[in-house]
Order: sequence, then C-alpha cells, then structure tokens
Amino acid sequence: MQTKVSIYKQEKRWAYLFVLPAVLQFFLFGAGPLIYSLYASFTDWNVLFGVRFVGLANYREILVTERFWKAVYNTFFLMLGTPIGIACALMLALALNRRTIGSKLFRVIYYLPSVSSVVAISILWTWIYNYDYGILNTLLRMVFGVDGPNWLYDPTWIKPSLILMGVWRSFGATAIFYLAALQNIPQVYYEAAKIDGAGPWQSFWRVTLPLITPITFYLLVMGVIGNMQSFAEIHVMLSNGGTEYSGATIVYFLWQKAFQNYEMGFACAVAWILGSIIFILTLLQFKTMRHWVYDGS
Amino acid sequence: MRKVSNRLLILVSCILLVLVTITPALAQNPITITFMGHGHPEEHEIFTRLIEKYEERYPHVTVNYINVPPAEYMIRLQAMVAGNQTPDVFYLPAGDLMPWADSGLLADLTELVANTDLFDEANIWPEALARYRYDGNMVGQGPLWALPKDVGPWALAYNADLFKEAGVPLPDPDVPWTWDEFLENARKLTRGSGNDRKWGAAFYTLEAAVWANGADWLDETKTRVTVDDSKFIEALQWVADLRLVHQVTPTREEEQSMGGYSRFINGQIAMFPMGPWDQPAFWRLPFEWDLMPWPVSPNTGKNATWIGSMGFAVSSRTKNLQEAFNLAAFLALDREGQQLNYELGMAVPNLIDMAETGFLNMDKPPANRKEFLRIITDYGRRPINEYTYDNEWIDAFWQGVDAVYAGRKTAAEFCKEIQPEMQSLLDRAIARQEQQRQRNR
Repeated sequence: MQTKVSIYKQEKRWAYLFVLPAVLQFFLFGAGPLIYSLYASFTDWNVLFGVRFVGLANYREILVTERFWKAVYNTFFLMLGTPIGIACALMLALALNRRTIGSKLFRVIYYLPSVSSVVAISILWTWIYNYDYGILNTLLRMVFGVDGPNWLYDPTWIKPSLILMGVWRSFGATAIFYLAALQNIPQVYYEAAKIDGAGPWQSFWRVTLPLITPITFYLLVMGVIGNMQSFAEIHVMLSNGGTEYSGATIVYFLWQKAFQNYEMGFACAVAWILGSIIFILTLLQFKTMRHWVYDGS
Repeated sequence: MRKVSNRLLILVSCILLVLVTITPALAQNPITITFMGHGHPEEHEIFTRLIEKYEERYPHVTVNYINVPPAEYMIRLQAMVAGNQTPDVFYLPAGDLMPWADSGLLADLTELVANTDLFDEANIWPEALARYRYDGNMVGQGPLWALPKDVGPWALAYNADLFKEAGVPLPDPDVPWTWDEFLENARKLTRGSGNDRKWGAAFYTLEAAVWANGADWLDETKTRVTVDDSKFIEALQWVADLRLVHQVTPTREEEQSMGGYSRFINGQIAMFPMGPWDQPAFWRLPFEWDLMPWPVSPNTGKNATWIGSMGFAVSSRTKNLQEAFNLAAFLALDREGQQLNYELGMAVPNLIDMAETGFLNMDKPPANRKEFLRIITDYGRRPINEYTYDNEWIDAFWQGVDAVYAGRKTAAEFCKEIQPEMQSLLDRAIARQEQQRQRNR
C-alpha cells in the first residue's frame, strides 16, 4: 500500500514536470502580454513615445470610428463562411466515407490546402480571381458566356470572394473531423433504423446528423473564433483593406493602427473589444448547445 | 657623469611614464554599431562593400548589418525600439519623419553635418536634405534628422518605337506638352484590339495632374484638406476621363489584371511613369525609350510630379554618435557608393557634381536623363503625406477614389463627400502632434 502511494506521488511529480513547460510558456508568452495589453488599452502607448494613462479614451474613440464599424461589419459578413464551410465539409465527408476507389487519394487532395501556407494560397487565389486572365472568369466566360465580376476590386464581390477562398481552404480539414465522427457511429443504429423502415434520408436526418452534433459544435466554435481573426489573406490579397475598405477585418484595422500608425494603446483596446466579441459569441454557443448538441443522454 | 646619467634616467622614466599613460587613449576601444535596412540583393551587395570600406577607414569599428524584408521592416524596427535595441543607424521613410523626430529617438544631425569632412553639404541636392528637416511644426525647416539614401524623381517615360509606328513626333525634351497635346497624342497612340491592343498611356499619376493644376490635398499650413477645391476636382476628373471617356489608358479591370508596368514592358503602352530604380529592367527592353517632361496644365502652364526618398537616421540612444553618423554619411554620400548606385541604375546621385557629370554622361538610356535632374531642381515635390503625422487621412482618399476611376461617382461628388472624413482624420493627426509637442515641453 505504502509503495503504491509513493509511486503515485512520484508519478504526480513527473506529471507536473511534464506540464511545466506549457504552463511556463503560457505565463511568459501568453498571460504576461495579455495582462499588459489590457493595461496598455487604457494608455496612449505608442512604441515611439512611451506610455501615458488615458482612461477610457481609446474605447470611446473606437466606438465613434467609422472604419472600425466597417471592419466589424466585414468581419461578421466573413463569418458566413463558417456555416457554409461546415455544410460543404459534411457533404464531402459523406462522399469520402463511401468506400469507393480512390477515396484515400481524395482525402489527401482535399486536405492539402489546410497544410499549405495562407500566403501561398492567397497569391494563388489572387490569380484565380484575376479579372482578365483568372481561371474563374475564363470558366464563367467559356461555360456560361457571362463576364465575371472584378472579384477582388469590386466592393460588392470582395467579401464573397474571401468567403469562397476561406471555405475552399478549410473544408478539407473540417471534412477529416466529420469523417472521424461518421466512422465512430456504430452500425447498429443504422441497422435498427432500417428495421424500423427508415430510408437513407431519414437515417441521415435522424441518426447521422444528431450523432455528429458534438463535432459540429466544436467546428462551429473553432470556426467562429478563427474567422473573427482573419488577417493574412486580407493583407496579401487586398491593398489597404480593399476598395472602399470593404475587405478590412477587425484584425486588419488593428494591425494598421498598431504597425502603420504606431498607436499600440489604441490597437490593444481594439484587441480587447475583439476578444470580448469572441468571448460573448462563444458563450452564446455554449449556452445554446444543450438545445441541439446530442450528448448521448 | 653619474649626475648626467641620473638625469637621463629620470628623463627616460618620465617619457616612459607619459607614453604608458597616453598609449591606451590613442588606441581606440573596439566598438560595434548596428545598421538596419531593407533592400534587394544589389543594394545589399553595395552596402556590404561600403561597410567594408568604412571598417577599413575606421578599424576600431565593426558594423553589424541587418537586412530584413521590406514588408517586415517597420514592424521589426518598432519591436527593436520597444526592446531598447534601436539600431544605431537605420532606414527612415521620409513620410515617418515627424513622429520619429518628435519622439526623441533620432539624433539631431545638424551640428555633425556642419562639422564633418566626409562631404560638402553644398554639394547635396537641397531638396534631398530639406525633406529631413523638421522644427516640431513643419517639415522642410529646422534641425536635420536624417541623411538621404536617395532622391527618387518620378519621371515620365515613353516607348519611342510606338511613337514612330503611330507617326507621332517624339516629344521635345525641352518643351513640355500641354494636357491637350498629351491627350491628342495619346489618342493617336491608342490603337489595335485584342492582344495587339496598344494604349497611349498608363494610368496618369494623380499628383502630377493635381499639382500642375495649381491644387493640392492640403492648404499651405497643412491643416486643411482642400480636395473639394474646383482645381483639384478638375484635375481628378481629367485623370479619370483619360480612361472613362477618352479610353487612352487601360480600363480599371485591365489595369488590375495586368499592371501598367508589365504592359509597358510588353510594348503595349506608349507613355509610362517610372522612377530611376526602374532603369536596370528598362535597359533590357527590346525597344527604344526615353524620358519626356511631364505635361503642363493649360490653366497654369506648369507641370509637377513627386520625388520619393528614404533616409538614414541615427538613433539618439547610440553610444557612438560620431561613428554612427560617419556610417550614415558613408552609406548616403560616399563617392564610390554613389557611383556604383548610379552605374547600376539604382538611383540618381545625391551629390550634385556627380549627377551633373558622370550620371548625365552615361551612355545608357534614357538619353534625356537630364529630366531626372530637372524634376529634382525644378518641378518635383515631396509626397503630401510627408507633412502630416500619419497617413490615415490620405488613405481614406485612396481607398475611396476608385469610385471615380470606375465611373461610379464624379470627381465633384466624391471630393465633396470625402473631404469631411479626411478633415476629421487629419484633425486627429494634428491633435496627436499637438499632444506630443506638449509632452516634449
């Protein structure tokens, strides 16, 4: 008995030791800057001039800044990509789940964009969207005989273009999650459904869909968090936030303030507002989860 | 005899003592200075060579040269400032001068320039230095905060072959066209269709039109946005109409799918604005090209364009001010470096005598390279954002002006609409400057 306890104690010590680097990393590189940025958001900190406390001035100014609200609108618009991406990924996963020839190859192909660099993908899509020479407009012209829009310059089309690219980029990885979830559903459920006279559609609607809601929930939460923070593709594909600022996101606005205008304190305040928005959205999702996420009970 | 030898001994000892005391002072302590910039491989090579030369001349100094990608440069610099590791010498874009000078992070170079024997101040283009002067209120006057890396006159090039094909006489290097002549000739030069399509001009530089027409983005005090001025509106509409009405420049869509630069290189565009840094690429062109004076506005009879620049600033935190300044002076103004620069087609020399002799007599195009110098001395101007604390106010203009170029709004509608927004952003920039000034007091 004595030895068991001491082994347990020893193991515990080792466990803490293993956890320590991650904890240290968090406190040094995560929590430290986090707390400082909260403080900085109440100052006029700007790398060149040092720090002076200004109270709520930054927050007040953000709320009356037109470009901030434009960025908020754009960011929420781009979030439409999350449900679209999830729906596409589910369809893809259902297709890949069939044991057809080459399904493994397709899994690899669809997953590739997720492991490619955002910058490379953004450059690729800049070419796809090119008005004259882009493959997309060429196809539209050849197949439908219509002139496609100027995707990345027309204020109406900038956001849909970004959404389309975002969906393409992420749905391979999302599909992998769904594939795992689909393969985890015990066959007995489908057999039982069949005995009860359910067709394929009913099996999908009543068995598959409810049983994969935990994964859907996870993907939704992560997707919203990720999409709220889009930046790199906007920086690469659009200049200055796009025509009439119609592609700029909150993080892009923040980046401009921090690194082009030297207004770090202001940018920190924007970051905290963004953090709060993400927190509230995530909280809402958790609050509503019991209404639609199947937890096995 | 003994007395004499005793005295000799004392004398020798004294000399030895003096020598022992002063020798370490004579041999200077080795020091290292850091220099950060961004540049393409040729520039990096030239600077490496110049730094070697500098280290030979000042053997006690070692230079740590950091070259970062241009897009990362300002972010990296800010991080270094925040981490108290400001490089001793670093690139400073002219447009960033005001906040940097106010921050106290830059060393005042006025005295050092007056006392240096490395160059003669009178031999540097006055405009090249003036844009790095700032008295806490206005750029162009007061103490000097940086030395010019280059002067970049934005000139107008033309494809002589296309002119000959269209039967348009080559522009006179000494007599500028008027806008009307420009348009008339551009019409003649715009021909063909499909892949053989040729355009009279690439998109016209808006600054060149606005300034030539006697207008500007800001008033003289640089505190009021004047884009709603009728002369401004007229110039903007003229530029937009070159595309929308007269169709002598590629459409907005064509421009965005392949820029004017590529189309000029392909021999599809007759007149195209260029900087001196474009020369190496243009030397490889299969057609004949040259520079022409920017056209004059019929309202003023004047022409205008902008001159770009990058500066070498010295950190006020440096422990080795003189050595850091010497390095900046070496990189900016050393004769060998300046010669390499222009021979490689990277820049117009900062040194007047060199520009007017060696540079002017080069046997490579453009034949009318005098136009570069004319822009520097006669009609080139600083970009307008160099007069303000930040660029947000002018960014708002550039973000919105596409509506005019696309024909969704007239110049008058757009300018009247955007002026209040620009003014409020400019007021904010001025308020920031004022806050800083108070803090400095």
